[in-house]
Amino acid sequence: MTTIRSTLLLLPALVLLNSCKSDSSGSGTDTRGPIQITTSSGVPMIHLAGGNFTMGSDKESADEKPAHEVRISAFLIDAHEVTHEMFAKAELPNPSHWQEHPQMPVEQVRWRDARRYCNERSLMEELTPCYDESKPGWPCDFDTNGYRLPTEAEWEFACRAGGSGRYGFGDTGKLKQYAWFDANSGERTHPAGSRKPNAWGIFDMYGNVSEWCEDIYAPDYYAKNSSDDPVGPVATGAMSDKRVMRGGNWKSSADMCRATFRKGQITGDSDACFNTDYCGFRCVRRVSPKELKALQGATSGTN
Amino acid sequence: MTITRLSTFLLMATALDSTARAAESIETLLARTPHKLICEGYANNNWELFIMNADGSKLRNLTNTADSHEIYPQASPDGSMIAFLSDVGAGRTTVRSLWVMDVTGENRRKISDYARQPFWSPDSKTLAYLPQEFKKFSVIDYSTKGMVFHNLETGKDRPHPNSGKIHHLYNPGFSPDGKWIVATVHSGMGLGHGTLLIEADGKRIVNLKTGGCRPTFSPSGKFLAWGPGDHEIKVVEFDRAGDLPALGKTRLQIFHKKDKIYHVDWCPNEQFLTISQGKPGKGNPAMPGTYEAASEIVGVHADGWNIVAIAIGDGGTVDLQNPPAGRVLQLTNDGRSYKESEWISVKQ
Repeated sequence: MTTIRSTLLLLPALVLLNSCKSDSSGSGTDTRGPIQITTSSGVPMIHLAGGNFTMGSDKESADEKPAHEVRISAFLIDAHEVTHEMFAKAELPNPSHWQEHPQMPVEQVRWRDARRYCNERSLMEELTPCYDESKPGWPCDFDTNGYRLPTEAEWEFACRAGGSGRYGFGDTGKLKQYAWFDANSGERTHPAGSRKPNAWGIFDMYGNVSEWCEDIYAPDYYAKNSSDDPVGPVATGAMSDKRVMRGGNWKSSADMCRATFRKGQITGDSDACFNTDYCGFRCVRRVSPKELKALQGATSGTN
Repeated sequence: MTITRLSTFLLMATALDSTARAAESIETLLARTPHKLICEGYANNNWELFIMNADGSKLRNLTNTADSHEIYPQASPDGSMIAFLSDVGAGRTTVRSLWVMDVTGENRRKISDYARQPFWSPDSKTLAYLPQEFKKFSVIDYSTKGMVFHNLETGKDRPHPNSGKIHHLYNPGFSPDGKWIVATVHSGMGLGHGTLLIEADGKRIVNLKTGGCRPTFSPSGKFLAWGPGDHEIKVVEFDRAGDLPALGKTRLQIFHKKDKIYHVDWCPNEQFLTISQGKPGKGNPAMPGTYEAASEIVGVHADGWNIVAIAIGDGGTVDLQNPPAGRVLQLTNDGRSYKESEWISVKQ
């Protein structure tokens, strides 16, 4: 269990972060740091207390403008991209191109398949699934306690980890330490967690596989989105065929691995042979303070 | 008559016959064809198997079961039996089973639960299938692992010699000589996607590197047809001259720029192909026995999809939006999610 071991090594650093302000390097204003827990199905997750941050950028591509203030509620996010091992545990057919290492992230994942995994994991942990599979489009109930894909606001909040600029860790020269991308990947994925995590203990946000978000992609969305927990534009017709994909991947240039880079990706949901081998994901979920305390207790009890 | 004169006469007669046939419309040719067709369709909130004449006439519901969903019919090469899948239950607890029945629809018997993608040996004595990867149901077509040969006479199963390696295949079929099995693989056996030839009684595997999916051999084994993409069907020569088989020249290309075209199958006389055709979509999971996924996948409702026949003729290109006169015939018309057409050989 390489990835879990690497996450556990971070625990002292995360405990230290709990006592520090997380906005020391940029636009974050929240004072509570990340907390690592392990779920009942054995998945390491990071609890982020939420807060305000500046989403987007006025200096980059048109769809990243304008930079705007967003408030995010507390949530749990996977410390790693969903791996083959996790997919197999959910008893779902693994759609990935490269399957030789159980800790490699799944890819060639359609948007719907990622959501199906979220529901399976919710059921494994006796949580209430977010997605209603009996209705067309599988509408998401954001108020349940089950797993779902992150909104792109949640994703960017987690990626920045309180930092600002193109990369939360500083300049482009350090990217090879934090991400698998075209300059170091050898044109393939690598085991999750085998690069450095960001300041909040979250791995592979900048590379390895790009990650599905819940939101419909609209290039002009930032000009009109809500400032509180935005969930993306309302679906209208074919617009919903493109969903937001965030983060770089094994074949991305450094420029595409930025914290604010956005891509509208065809979901692949009406494609039986979806073979876009950089599409992966990670899960998030809402958690009450009481449940968080219980999860913390269970995690420290197992360490 | 000398042998040379006899040969010349026969050649001329054949040429004249071909000319005469080329002048006839596909409606006329299919009306004369004794073989029948079976396909899946959705009626009264239920998947059923529908049988029809080669020209689409006398379409009727062969199964008529309100308590199970019958899909994916596969006719035995001798035309006596139909293998099919049956879904019972709903959602992730659905159980998909393999059944076989007489071509009349009688004498139904179950072969196995959690089984998919049946295909017949050329002698009609063995029904092969792909076990489902997990008991938990997924509508995804490649959710299979291994390969089993079921002997219909003894009732015994035996695994393919390479069964341990076989993973995520779909749409398998024997070559007419029984030596190879052609199938699509997705996310398995070290490949992201591909078309494979798998030795029927050995461990050799040939990657045909074609892309696309759902390959099927012509009854003579001289051609392979498959879908290179959502909107295209291709027929190429199948070259068995070398140590390993390979694909040769393109014989026929069928395309539709807007509709999806899938599930190609060969008429036993090798003169016609049938396909499923309809708008791209994702199904409607609110309908009983259906799931949300790509329309072409078995068990996904495909509103407006119909079965279409194409005369192979001299090959070339067939644009289904502007079909050549007399070469294309829509066999079903009410769009009840007709898919997976399969020809049934009828002896004259």
